[in-house]
Amino acid sequence: MECSFALTGKGYVLIAADTTAARSIVKMKADEDKIKSLGPHLLMAYSGEPGDTVQFAEYVERNIRLYQIRNLYPLRPASAASWVRRALADSLRSRSPYSVNLLLGGYDTATHAPSLYWIDYLGTQAEVPFACHGYGSYFALSLLDRYHDPEASLEEGLATLRRCIDEVAKRLVVAPGKYKVKVVDKDGVREIEL
Amino acid sequence: MATASTYAPVGFDFSNQVRNQFLQEKGLPLPKATSTGTTIVGCLFKDGIVLGADTRATEGPIVADKNCEKIHYLTDSIRCCGAGTAADTEFTTALISSNMALHELSTGRKPRVVTAMTMLKQMLFRYQGQVGAALVLGGVDATGPHLFTIAPHGSTDKLPYVTMGSGSLAAMAVFESGWKAGMTREEALSLVTDAICAGIFNDLGSGSNVDACVITAGHTDMLRNFVRPNERVAKEQRYLFRRGTTAWKKESVRDLIVSEEVRPIGGAGAEAMDTS
Amino acid sequence: MSIMEYNGGSVIAMVGKGCVAIGSDLRLGNQALTVATNFEKVFPVTDRIYLGMSGLATDVATLREQFRFRVNMYQIKEERDIEPEAFAHLVSSTLYERRFGPYFIEPVIGGLWKTQGGEYKPYIAAADLIGCLNFAKDFVVAGTASEKLFGVAEGLWEPDLEPEDLFETISQTLMNGVDRDAYSGWGAIIHIVTPDKVVTRTLKGRMD
Repeated sequence: MECSFALTGKGYVLIAADTTAARSIVKMKADEDKIKSLGPHLLMAYSGEPGDTVQFAEYVERNIRLYQIRNLYPLRPASAASWVRRALADSLRSRSPYSVNLLLGGYDTATHAPSLYWIDYLGTQAEVPFACHGYGSYFALSLLDRYHDPEASLEEGLATLRRCIDEVAKRLVVAPGKYKVKVVDKDGVREIEL
Repeated sequence: MATASTYAPVGFDFSNQVRNQFLQEKGLPLPKATSTGTTIVGCLFKDGIVLGADTRATEGPIVADKNCEKIHYLTDSIRCCGAGTAADTEFTTALISSNMALHELSTGRKPRVVTAMTMLKQMLFRYQGQVGAALVLGGVDATGPHLFTIAPHGSTDKLPYVTMGSGSLAAMAVFESGWKAGMTREEALSLVTDAICAGIFNDLGSGSNVDACVITAGHTDMLRNFVRPNERVAKEQRYLFRRGTTAWKKESVRDLIVSEEVRPIGGAGAEAMDTS
Repeated sequence: MSIMEYNGGSVIAMVGKGCVAIGSDLRLGNQALTVATNFEKVFPVTDRIYLGMSGLATDVATLREQFRFRVNMYQIKEERDIEPEAFAHLVSSTLYERRFGPYFIEPVIGGLWKTQGGEYKPYIAAADLIGCLNFAKDFVVAGTASEKLFGVAEGLWEPDLEPEDLFETISQTLMNGVDRDAYSGWGAIIHIVTPDKVVTRTLKGRMD
């Protein structure tokens, strides 16, 4: 089953998402990237109804890009999160709503602060120090409560993230096998090998 | 987008319907609105009409408001008591009151009670009982005093004494035993008070105080909290907490006093600008 | 479980002597799973009006945006701040417009209104999810802990409390009320609105 985690640290946001693409009980793909970079300093992990997810993520990606082209500067994380939330809330009132859960991590180059937003398919938004989606959240949230440190270095953050992934692998019956991890900080976004 | 304009079209907005249907299908039942499990009555007497109502608003088993107003203004000489879904009675009477005022302006005459009754029943019938307002309408016009009940589906009755709401049975029992034709104002007011009190004390959906309204030709008396049979006694003890009891982590103060200091520059020695 | 309990959360407002206090808990949940413990449900509308909303969190956010827009438009057109009573009716009619497809929130309004003489009087109001207003003279509550808050507030509230005493009363009411509610809690925030300042305090609460 799908799992995604994210946590903030000193000057960065770490986002991890599993890489399985499943259809019913069949694993169709094991190296699907479910974290999109929406800008130079913005990452979005998405999960939910297959089909909706990619469709919605690309819709968001193109619109955020359009904003940057029009205005010559990208949306800041808080504004981007607000826009995405609104898109989901409006979609929920349409005939075929997107069933997509998101984790939005960004680094604000103006305030030099990392920020993380938890958004669900209803359009519920919360700014949080750490967040999860999927069944993994029942295990990972308690770990993050215990081990999360907003002042942690990237190495320490990765160690905490590894704890979460290991715990889920150990205890969750339907745990996913592989994860992709990305980080966003002052230097932009990049992928990290766990 | 939904918020593109301040000028929304009139009438109800159904844009949340699809989503709410979707949420309901997910197994989340839709919540209930405040209803006025109510006792409302009206009674004809020699010179006019007396309307009465209790003042309790409930949300399921919880008393949401202990002293709400259920006798709504329609015009100077027409009032309307509401039972049922509280928001519906509130907004339906407000809408009709507004339309009655417009009607009065366009005809240049004092509007009649039947006009209000027709407007209300047509509106309620249009919504097929979905607007859950059960009303007691009373007033005095050029053709004399009139008293109606209007059920949520739009049917009406014209009777010399009427009751509505969950306490209607208790109140009607009092009317049936005490009402007679050609009562004086005092007799009618005391009968209405007794009927409402029967509702207050015997019906769980009704409670608190008695509101009454006496309408006669040329004069309307709104007697808010006419009788208060359930006055709360003064607390014997005070539960004041010593300042500093509550532990708090963070405090921020937003100062609303804008202070402005005017500092003249140039000083007294500076020459005024030559504007000649 | 009803939609109103999906995210959890509670709001309360109380009248004091020349002041009002309004506060909420800080929990945001997904049914029984707590997602955030910093989710404020009370927002400033003008300098002296605060609006609290409990219920479905997505609607809390949507309506917060919508009311901000409507109040800004009012301000531009009227060239003055909206008064609490007018704002309460704005909230009420916005909700009643959706009578047959409601937003799942219960609003609570706390503010000060300016009299002709220029002094400020306290004002509180609450509504159900379809906008039936309840003007109370003492206190109003909403949310998953509303039943408990009704009880505690009924016992603790008294008239003419000074701002600092009102803070203690509303804080103790809220904290003890939400402690008996599984879906509310995880800290609380209180705003005390007085004519010349607004004091906001984050309370230390149980984290279970």
